[in-house]
Amino acid sequence: MSTIPHDAIVGGLPHDEHAHHPKGIMRWITTTNHKDIGTMYLWFSFTMFLIGGMMALTIRSELFHPGLQIVDPEFFNSMTTLHGLIMIFGALMPGAVGFANWLIPMQIGAPDMAFGRLNNWSFWLLPPAAIMLLMSLLVPGGAASGGWTMYPPLTVQSGMGMDLTIFAIHIMGASSIMGSINIITTILNLRAPGMTMMKLPLFCWAWLITAYLLIAVMPVLAGAVTMLLTDRHFGTSFFNAAGGGDPVLFQHVFWFFGHPEVYIIILPAFGIISEIIPTFSRKPLFGYASMVYALAAIAILSFLVWAHHMFTTGLPAASILFYMYATMLIAVPTGVKVFNWLATMWKGSITLEAPMLFALGFLFLFVIGGFTGLILAIQPIDVQFQDTYYVVAHFHYVMVAGTLFGFFGGTYYWLPKWTGHMYDEKLADWHFWGSFIFFNVAFFPMHFLGLAGMPRRVPDYAQQFTDWNMVSTIGAFGFGLSQLIFLAAVVKCIRGGAPAPAKPWEGATSLEWTLPSPAPYHSFVTPPVVK
Amino acid sequence: MATEPTRRDPERLKRANRRTGLVLLAIVLVFFFGIILSRFIENPAVSIGVVGGAVLLYLVVAIGRHLRR
Repeated sequence: MSTIPHDAIVGGLPHDEHAHHPKGIMRWITTTNHKDIGTMYLWFSFTMFLIGGMMALTIRSELFHPGLQIVDPEFFNSMTTLHGLIMIFGALMPGAVGFANWLIPMQIGAPDMAFGRLNNWSFWLLPPAAIMLLMSLLVPGGAASGGWTMYPPLTVQSGMGMDLTIFAIHIMGASSIMGSINIITTILNLRAPGMTMMKLPLFCWAWLITAYLLIAVMPVLAGAVTMLLTDRHFGTSFFNAAGGGDPVLFQHVFWFFGHPEVYIIILPAFGIISEIIPTFSRKPLFGYASMVYALAAIAILSFLVWAHHMFTTGLPAASILFYMYATMLIAVPTGVKVFNWLATMWKGSITLEAPMLFALGFLFLFVIGGFTGLILAIQPIDVQFQDTYYVVAHFHYVMVAGTLFGFFGGTYYWLPKWTGHMYDEKLADWHFWGSFIFFNVAFFPMHFLGLAGMPRRVPDYAQQFTDWNMVSTIGAFGFGLSQLIFLAAVVKCIRGGAPAPAKPWEGATSLEWTLPSPAPYHSFVTPPVVK
Repeated sequence: MATEPTRRDPERLKRANRRTGLVLLAIVLVFFFGIILSRFIENPAVSIGVVGGAVLLYLVVAIGRHLRR
């Protein structure tokens, strides 16, 4: 249903004569153009991905051998904390917003986002917040080291780095909320005539639902860290047991945000994959309506399962059963999506360009992450695996092989539209195979380590875990180096390459492919009519 | 909250955008202050239930009402 034949679009051809904008740095500081802002989001995200990646390599270097050899334990804990925060709030979420900025107006036939200035502000809040988070490494007491989950009482007692972290989260959260308001308003109000909700491309649907999730849970996180802040400095006792507060309450509030956050990160990647697979299978997406309902079902269920992160804190038996079964229930709409992606490929005329390779890699690895999630949903098993490397393996299969592979696939898919050049397929293939192989070398052994009982967030470990840790560290460095190939492929594509036609992919059907490549500064000055 | 998908009247569209944005902002503020105020309810199950129920209702209404457009 989302497939729009190009002969069904009337008018709407863009023209670039209105593309007046300041030159140089002022263009980027003052821009309200969705493409400029999307580009800045994507580069910011990639920069933070490299910084967070460096932290991950510091962690893996320390864990190459048992014993303490490179960093002291406090710094190691700061690295695990900042790695999590930077990857989630600095890399994955802004990356998704970058795709949204670039694509949503073009896919719905709009000239730009609904609130241009708000869009500019949303982006420019991020760099100061990221700098503040990183600078916390330099303050007395060091950066926050209580884990990205920031559980009290540790975070009530820790130093000034925690205050900077709380402030950075407030700012990044405000940025996300403003971005979400913009996205929802754009999709609801700026669709081209004839573009009904059930004709929206799946990427827009995925982002619409993601934005609703963000609107609902980011204020809850902001509320939680505000209470943490007042506990630290203003004498309140929300979570301070000494004053009658309850530290476990923070865990409830945090995971009320934290579990939907997982879907906030993965749903935009679902949307990207839902664009790529039909294109390279040369078939319409199988079960469009069921895909939309599955997205909505995942979003709703994500609010009902938060306490599965807290099975070891002590919950009533009835609660444990509820959260266990509710968590398992999420496998149903997720299974619908996986089934529909496979059914789309079934008897399709499949070709394996880089976007499709990443989509297939996503499918294969995300399903592994999904299954280990199902295993962790079973409370008696979770009690054994809580805080082990099994959990680390599970969520990296979802976050990295799921979201990141989706973003890589999406980048290669839309690079011709963004730059006007085709990317180097050989470099992109090297990037895929390097990422795919080394990702598994890095993270699959963590399942074994977790099953054997190796705890997470520790800089030292018992001798028997050495071999798999060495393998994992080698994989992590290989995965990191593979990302330099990605950087080379993107830079090469920006600087030149074979000119890209308006529609470089034979099977592509959504509105952005009716625009020339590179997409003009203003997309649809007169709205196209979708019949 | 949303208008029909047309861009014939820019002023009307601007007003609709502003209205949608303000409604969403109001929801953000309710959730932000709601989660803090709910701490003052003695029974955590009730407070979490109230906020959770509000979120669920909001999602069902927010997504559901646009499905037919």
